[in-house]
Amino acid sequence: MLTAEDQLAIESQLNDFLRKSEAQWSALVDKGGNLFAQSGNTGSLDLSILSALAAGSFAATHELARRLGESEFSALYHEGHGHHILMSALHFECLLVTVFGERTNIGLVRFYAQQATSALNGHLRQAHEKEVRMDPLALEGDFLSDTAAIS
Amino acid sequence: MAFINYSSREIQLKIVYYGPALCGKTTNLITLHEQVTHAQKGELVSLATDADRTLFFDFLSLNTKTLPGFTTRFQLYTVPGQSIYNTTRQLVLKGVDGIIFVVDSHWERMADNVESFANLQENLVENHLSLVQIPYVLQYNKRDIPNAAPINYLEFTFNNRANRALAFEAVASTGEGVLETLNACARLLLAKYSKTPNSNVAGIAPTASVPRSGASMRGGAVA
Repeated sequence: MLTAEDQLAIESQLNDFLRKSEAQWSALVDKGGNLFAQSGNTGSLDLSILSALAAGSFAATHELARRLGESEFSALYHEGHGHHILMSALHFECLLVTVFGERTNIGLVRFYAQQATSALNGHLRQAHEKEVRMDPLALEGDFLSDTAAIS
Repeated sequence: MAFINYSSREIQLKIVYYGPALCGKTTNLITLHEQVTHAQKGELVSLATDADRTLFFDFLSLNTKTLPGFTTRFQLYTVPGQSIYNTTRQLVLKGVDGIIFVVDSHWERMADNVESFANLQENLVENHLSLVQIPYVLQYNKRDIPNAAPINYLEFTFNNRANRALAFEAVASTGEGVLETLNACARLLLAKYSKTPNSNVAGIAPTASVPRSGASMRGGAVA
């Protein structure tokens, strides 16, 4: 659960990370594939799909690493011809997904990603503590009627 | 677990189609991608082998305005049905909010159906979840085949419990029962956010509180 305040703080952190690292796009995604917050530009790419695939890719590689006895696995890097992806594990079952191009390099992106990871973990902790204290979302209606939710 | 973003007024819910190999999970998503016209839908993504067998998952995102003041984003996933991909199924179940278990109506596939249903419960435990916590719906698919198992047999095998799950007959390849199944699962998930929630809705919808059609018919709820 993210409040408007949490969202602003996280997006501000992502903006700062993009500015310093000169990466193209960065997002906070959970390991279930939900997109929480994002910054930057991916053109016409469907961000839901990007998030689902990133989470799936990270989960598969993480599981592979775990079975190889690698317990300190915390980041995943895919190198392409023009675009590259860095995924970094965060606390609270989240990931920092970064897409970058030729304007920068993996060393720079990784360096600033580590800083961003630490700050984002702080924001996630605050959001989590807030969530525990908040009343659950409650809306009018029972939603069990025959009205189709999806059509 | 559902993600609520108060800033963008969006709720994201993850529904996973589960079931044995070749029972019609991917066909459900393909049909939904064709049938859904009002909800804003994304591209259907399939991570499959060259022989069109699901390797990792299929994914389809649907945005609706069902909840007042919120956009509801349903993220639909399938799992690979083949037994060798169990670890992948565990990964896809991460963060699941609702499950649609697809049963293959072929007599000769009953053992696979039962094994898959047991496997679902085991994999939920691996994710620290259970069918008591996660709303789920049953879909008896392939009702058009000549040697389909009778509905009362399927109900006895998969739905023989105090709190029965909603169950739907379907022919996913023609679209019969596909939207009905998804909507039943979606309504169970949305009901969690009602100010007057049904106390039984968090897990399995009880027969008395959820409208069911009186007759057992293709595309309708099983009475």
